[in-house]
Amino acid sequence: MHIDDNLEGGGDGTVMCRHCGAVTGTLGDPLRDARVRESDPREAGPSVHADAGNFTDRPVLLRQTFCPGCLVMLQAEIVPGDEPSWRTRSLAGPTAEAGQ
Amino acid sequence: MPVIPVDGAEEFANQPVLAAETRRVAGASVRLHDVSPERVDTVDPLTYEVIRHRLTSITEEMGEALKRMSGSVVVTDCNDFDAAIMDEVGDVVQVGLYNTELAASLDMAVSWTMRHRAARPGIGEGDMFLCNDPWIGGGLHQNDVSLFAPLFVDGELFCWTGAVAHQVDLGGVSPGSWSVAATDVFWESIPLPPVKIVEGGEIRDDIEDVYLRRSRVPKLVALDLRAKIGANNVAHERLRALCQKYGADTVKAVMRRTMNDAEARLRAKLLELPDGSWTSVAHQDSARSGDRGIYKIVLKLTKEGDRLTFDFTGTDPQVDGLINCTYAGLRGGIMPVFLTTVCGDIPWAPGGLWRCIDIVSEPSTINNCTFPAGIGKASVASAWATTNVATECLSGLLDAHSEHRKRMMSVCCGTWDFALLAGVDQRGGGFVTMICDSMAGGLGARSDADGVDTGGLACIPMGRVADVEMNEFAFPMLYLWRREEADSGGPGRYRGGVGASSCFIPYDSPLGGVHLVVSAPGKALPLAAGLSGGLPAGTQYDVLLRGTRVRAALAAGRLPGSLDDIGGATEMVPSHHETDLGPDDVYFTHWQGGGGYGDPLLRAPAAVAADVASRKVTPQAAATVYGVTLGADGQPDLAETERSRAALRRRRAGLDEAEPESARS
Repeated sequence: MHIDDNLEGGGDGTVMCRHCGAVTGTLGDPLRDARVRESDPREAGPSVHADAGNFTDRPVLLRQTFCPGCLVMLQAEIVPGDEPSWRTRSLAGPTAEAGQ
Repeated sequence: MPVIPVDGAEEFANQPVLAAETRRVAGASVRLHDVSPERVDTVDPLTYEVIRHRLTSITEEMGEALKRMSGSVVVTDCNDFDAAIMDEVGDVVQVGLYNTELAASLDMAVSWTMRHRAARPGIGEGDMFLCNDPWIGGGLHQNDVSLFAPLFVDGELFCWTGAVAHQVDLGGVSPGSWSVAATDVFWESIPLPPVKIVEGGEIRDDIEDVYLRRSRVPKLVALDLRAKIGANNVAHERLRALCQKYGADTVKAVMRRTMNDAEARLRAKLLELPDGSWTSVAHQDSARSGDRGIYKIVLKLTKEGDRLTFDFTGTDPQVDGLINCTYAGLRGGIMPVFLTTVCGDIPWAPGGLWRCIDIVSEPSTINNCTFPAGIGKASVASAWATTNVATECLSGLLDAHSEHRKRMMSVCCGTWDFALLAGVDQRGGGFVTMICDSMAGGLGARSDADGVDTGGLACIPMGRVADVEMNEFAFPMLYLWRREEADSGGPGRYRGGVGASSCFIPYDSPLGGVHLVVSAPGKALPLAAGLSGGLPAGTQYDVLLRGTRVRAALAAGRLPGSLDDIGGATEMVPSHHETDLGPDDVYFTHWQGGGGYGDPLLRAPAAVAADVASRKVTPQAAATVYGVTLGADGQPDLAETERSRAALRRRRAGLDEAEPESARS
């Protein structure tokens, strides 16, 4: 079952990295076993023009999520650091789509 | 001062109601045309297609009429308007390809009008109703003024047409009705519930005077009113001809079937997609000038069978500022991305599409606010943020299907970079205008292609940017540049489309300078998220340069090409700001691109090299984000790139730091 550019669902309910085959989670929580790192947003590159502190008193961070096997980046967000990640998904399982 | 609740405001807190309810209430005062389901089912396929496409072209003709009669650059050159055809109870049969946000709540305004105005003052032939109350519908904030008109055929109310356009100023503390210091709606343009401004084919002078008296540019607004009247008249002329040729019952049957077909085709597509839920978040920094907060809209999109539920539970409470939106704004946030990514091959008949959607939203939240919350910026604040979070979730759903994933897109241009100028123009007249350069936003990356550079905005498929020359002709300003900006698109295996920047000075105003209002979040954090490992697009970046010698440079024949060239004292502009631009001041505004898709380290090195050559990506980003090493000839050194990427892969995951390995909690 295709999930996104990096993930595919196995028939047993696991989710795997399509680049290296490492298990990253389950259909109910595809990034459960992924590696997460939080860092300064300016690590995202020169597109982050100014320090967030110029505009807000809340901490802002870059949260990157990686495959535990090949370290391909599975998810990246620049968000307030005092919030949990809201970006999740849960899939019921493969459809009858041809070729899935 | 606390925001004071207003008794009686609940009358205007409109929610969509079933067609049967509108028919029951309004039917006591006005005869409504209807056809049986059997009549709908027996329209022959050829007639159906001919009439259905004719209805689409009528909305385009309405748009053309609006543009040809308006005097506002926002309408004539930027297409910040839309038109729609609705059935006799207000369900939208066809929405135009212009600003789909604006058209997403015309049904609510028409339904409210039928339920509250059919008895008094009544709804008759030749009448038109004007509305800019977003709690009722018809638009997302007070600048969105809708004009909707019933068409009568043989004494029965056959259908409604509607035209809505952004008006550059309708009062309020700040020019442009964009009161950046607002804590509630009473700082802003006061909303007008539906009022019969055209009666029996004639403009009511008393109502028009009440409407125009609030504006700093009443003649411009009056012309736009006539443009909207003209658009509705064009639509009615075409629809009457259609009814004369095919019969009113046949045309109505096609309208019904268009909505039914849209519903059926959407349900069929939803059944092809996997069941599941996708949750995401959209942030906005700053609710008003001086505010340093960050506010979130949370969405859990659930697909089960042939239904979608948009659940906004967890969204922040409404704020004391101008960024809230009403329920109409929430719908207006969902519909644009829904139409373009999910319904690209389905008739754009929201009257049928809404039947497949449930919305869960708590009142008094930032994208479902209660009166008298400030909403002056709603369309490009909380409604736009709703579009962003809906984009992520819908794209996640589409990405799980091998065919439909081709239509998904990362978030496009995370917000509107608002810059408003006001003052005395080069002809000695007063002017107010919104600079619409940021219509050229970067589109989000797709699952199989880069985002379109300066491709536009997701919510306005036919949006345009006014030519530099048109802005300079119309307003006292002179551009130093308008150009695409490298690195503004989110990095990814597929890159987000880049945004751009404009840099200009006040020029040729008898006063020397102009007044400036800025409202542009996305500075504390980027608002155009990436997907599937793609990075967000760049942050918003606006700068004021004071006391420059730019005029001396121009007089000497030198055109500055960078902020360093311009000099002067630099002020980083906060998200909300109001000030004056003096004759030696320069304003630089850099808006956002689209989010990326996929891990940037998987982008083909040759593609990165091409990005650098075409100035979409800087050499610095090519090395530090994409991990590509370029030779002196600009071509990728593949061996060195492989080594660089291996090192970067570990470094960005924190494996070369003194960090313990950790699983996601």
